[in-house]
Amino acid sequence: MPLLGELNKNYKVINRSVPRIDGVDKVSGRAHYAADLKFVDMVYGGCLRSGHSHAKVTKIDTSKAKAMPGVLAVVTAADMPKPKSCAGPAAYMYLTDEVKYAGDVVALVCAETKLIVEEALRAIEVEYEDLPGVYTIREAMEPGAPVVHENYPGNKFKDSYFPIRKGDVEKGFEEADLIIEREYETQYIEHSYIEPEAVVCIQNPTDGVMTVHASAQNPFFTRRYIADVLGVGMNEVRVFQENVGGTFGGKEEGLGMLAARCAYLCKLVGRPVKMTFSREESFLESAKRHPFLLHYKVGVKKDGHIVAWEGSQIDNCGAYNNQTQFMNSRASIHSCGAYTIPNVKTDTFGVFTNNIHGGAMRGYSSPQLIWGQEQLIEEIAEELGMDPLEFRRINCLKEDTTNATGQVMHHVILPEIMEYTAKKTDYQRKHEEYKHQTNKHKRKGIGMSIAHRGCGLGAESPDASGAMAIANEDGTVLINTGLAENGQGLKTAFSQIAAEAIGIPYELIRFYGTDTQAIADSGMTVASRGTVMGSQSTRKVGYRLNEIMRGNALALGFFKDQEDVHDVSQIVLEDGFFHTTSKPDVKVPFKDVCNASLWTGRQMAAYEWFMPPACDQDHHTGQGTAFPTFAYGCCVAEVEVDMDTGYVDVVKVTASHDVGTAINPALVLGQIYGGIVMGQGYAVTEEVEVSKGKVRNQNFENYIIPTAADMPEMDVNIFECDDPAGTFGAKSIGEPATEAVGAAIINAIYNATGRRIRENPANLERVLLGKKLR
Amino acid sequence: MQRLSYLKPQTLEEALGYLNEYGEKVKPYAGGTDLMVQLREHTSKLKDVEYLMDVQYLPELRGIEVKDDCISIGCMTSHTEVNESPVLREHVPFLSIASSTVGSTQVRNKGTVGGNICNASPAADTLSPFVALNARLTVVSVDGTREVLVKEAMEKAGKLKFAPNEMATRITIDRLDGWHTAFIKLGRRKALAISRMNCAVALKLEDGVIADARIAPGCVFATPDRVEKAEELVKGQKPSAELFEKAGLAVSEEMIARTGIRWSTEYKKPVIEALIQRALCRAAGLPED
Repeated sequence: MPLLGELNKNYKVINRSVPRIDGVDKVSGRAHYAADLKFVDMVYGGCLRSGHSHAKVTKIDTSKAKAMPGVLAVVTAADMPKPKSCAGPAAYMYLTDEVKYAGDVVALVCAETKLIVEEALRAIEVEYEDLPGVYTIREAMEPGAPVVHENYPGNKFKDSYFPIRKGDVEKGFEEADLIIEREYETQYIEHSYIEPEAVVCIQNPTDGVMTVHASAQNPFFTRRYIADVLGVGMNEVRVFQENVGGTFGGKEEGLGMLAARCAYLCKLVGRPVKMTFSREESFLESAKRHPFLLHYKVGVKKDGHIVAWEGSQIDNCGAYNNQTQFMNSRASIHSCGAYTIPNVKTDTFGVFTNNIHGGAMRGYSSPQLIWGQEQLIEEIAEELGMDPLEFRRINCLKEDTTNATGQVMHHVILPEIMEYTAKKTDYQRKHEEYKHQTNKHKRKGIGMSIAHRGCGLGAESPDASGAMAIANEDGTVLINTGLAENGQGLKTAFSQIAAEAIGIPYELIRFYGTDTQAIADSGMTVASRGTVMGSQSTRKVGYRLNEIMRGNALALGFFKDQEDVHDVSQIVLEDGFFHTTSKPDVKVPFKDVCNASLWTGRQMAAYEWFMPPACDQDHHTGQGTAFPTFAYGCCVAEVEVDMDTGYVDVVKVTASHDVGTAINPALVLGQIYGGIVMGQGYAVTEEVEVSKGKVRNQNFENYIIPTAADMPEMDVNIFECDDPAGTFGAKSIGEPATEAVGAAIINAIYNATGRRIRENPANLERVLLGKKLR
Repeated sequence: MQRLSYLKPQTLEEALGYLNEYGEKVKPYAGGTDLMVQLREHTSKLKDVEYLMDVQYLPELRGIEVKDDCISIGCMTSHTEVNESPVLREHVPFLSIASSTVGSTQVRNKGTVGGNICNASPAADTLSPFVALNARLTVVSVDGTREVLVKEAMEKAGKLKFAPNEMATRITIDRLDGWHTAFIKLGRRKALAISRMNCAVALKLEDGVIADARIAPGCVFATPDRVEKAEELVKGQKPSAELFEKAGLAVSEEMIARTGIRWSTEYKKPVIEALIQRALCRAAGLPED
């Protein structure tokens, strides 16, 4: 059973729970965030949002606002040379007079104080002509429905269509003894990061470079918007990533839009400008987890083998495109769950509506899909009269089986993880026992879900990255890469990886964070790719620096008294000391070689690029290699349901994950604990309630995330394996940590109540009545 | 943002003087836990307010006094103080429990029972036990002092039946020595939750029979009230789950009689019945499951 540590991986720096680099700063409150920054002569910016779901601005009068003392600028779409952003098809508007959703911005204000900004925004008079809109997935697809974007007739976002065609699904259904068809629908979810979006822009008075301090998830991505709105080269924009107080996929487009508007105002008024979102603005403009309408039809033999799987997975993009095409690539690849099925036919696409937009949010479609699929698996097992664990055993991915894209799977430890978790939780006995409860008021339930996740970006987009390492003359080392700390512990993990590869102690490494003028773009820090693939270049540059410094040690004569030593391969750098292979006891400190290298002009820095082997999928069938490897997980949730009120108490969650190699086990645990609670909110309480495009809950008094008091008991089991695909064998964990939790909880609720909830979340009303109240 | 002036009267007389002078332009500030949020949200009922009058430290509005037949609680007593008061825990434990379910620790430290009542939200957690305790508000102005039942103090959600120059200073509640009480709150989570519904009940048991009863459901009426029909139904009876089920039904019937069938009735009807039954069982020491 390869639990953490059982494989004896023999690493020196990784595989250990070293303290987070930024841990004390954040816990003690010493850490500064973008909103904390102040500059001389700094002024403030703000946005006027329409609040209308679909409307034309017929008149906008800014005269009163402009006349207010302290107001420096009021800008409308007509004033802005380029109000449409650069972000691909159905791109966002920095400013607009054709409102497509309630968060669209119709005017910007810049003023001396935040208070004046607020008053000036209220003084702008706007008249709208409301237009008919579409809001739900079903409405958007109805013939004759109002169209959100003229170039997308029928509201179908064709660029986000991904088919899977494996085997012959019709033949599969003919062979089937039983065919089951079900539909599931998921909700809008807010990221709920503690820090709302914040940006401060300062134009360098000397060279004109627009310098931006931002709570950006991806500083290079943010830079694109700023260069776009200003019409300048990317080398005239410098983005510093400040500490990020959580993002989970949320501080990408929304943050870019904010930064662009802020930079525009900064250039316009010639002073530093700060813009921060209120929580309500963050709710209105940040992307949400896409709602999905999932329809599956499954054919199964009496012996429990699934022979055909057909499905449509339609997501609500909202008013603008926010990565839906990439998300749907992933959704298609995972469209039949963690199961090996010979005949699969699924279609995945998005539709535009006049709603807030779906976008990246921890999971990138997987929490939605697994929520439906893992309920469906249990529904089929029940129809067959089969124990759900046994049904999973028969069909789940195993070594050398194929997934939906026909990729042959290797290093599959899913069955092992599932059996371990089932046994540890006494799943089968409890599941059977709870089915026969007679308690009138409170009932217990236990539920399982399993998952697989393609690690990194895979076939979505190139998973390449670059990294730099610089040794200083005192023996300390700076590393830098285009990937960014998002609170997940990336700086710490990357420093461990660099230390391991260079052969020096972790304490000698520093990674200060991302500055777009200091390193090349390495793609976004998304898709749980940071450690698994994004740090490959860090490892590579560590090896390179190790080699360079060993060469320096040789050339500078540190081992000249050992006459047999004449080649760099005879020198070892480990634990911060050089020695030769023949005399390991004679040690030369790393810093001595660094110091001598500087004064002799030798190279002591390196830059490396990593490009993974290409993934290769056929566009028409989706067949081929989708990801370099997959991570597996199993989650068991135990609940107590109040049968009189519908209240669900999530009592315990047991989560077991294949992380390949745990680079920092404490950070892995942190990811999983947080992921469990996020999954709990997803399943039970959270929903951004949208009514004809208007967002009803825009703050945390009525958008209900779990508190510390609601957290379940958590039992986390970390599994490792010998899969070589990721950096030092690491696999993804950020998103796996949360993706299967909701499904386990909803299955546990069914086990307790005997009632399926096919529309989430399982809030009080749905659990009691089986439906949403309004 | 509204521009507001801050008033800090040193005496009750001074405070009443401000109220008399500025009327609806002045808003008494207790813990601010609702008021500050409403100001930030530009709540329409506060649009004419020009002064916030800080009454937190007026001695007449503070302290808990146990008298022979009643208890007097200063309006500025925080939820934490109510929760931690040994005399309240002894005499009216369900009020203590209700106070412990309000908002978060920070909200309970700043928020006051007077504020909770005067904010006039039908979902206020302490309203149900106060109504069950026949709580009376002492309302004062330069014109004099009057007492009003808490359940009659609200005109509608968010609005009190106070003259513009009046403010509340103290809450007087019955002493229910020897009674058995229970408070149950249903929220969407375990902390920082607004009551979806709640109920406060008190039973006087004599020789195994219910001699007297108070049943006050929360979040079901436009203004808080006891349900006398349900109380009458249990009086003179032996406590039992069946009896309390009927009491629950009487409460839900009363809810529908007063508020009609609404979109939420489908959920609220069975749930308030269950909560009433459960609270009565808990008060009577009967098993709840």
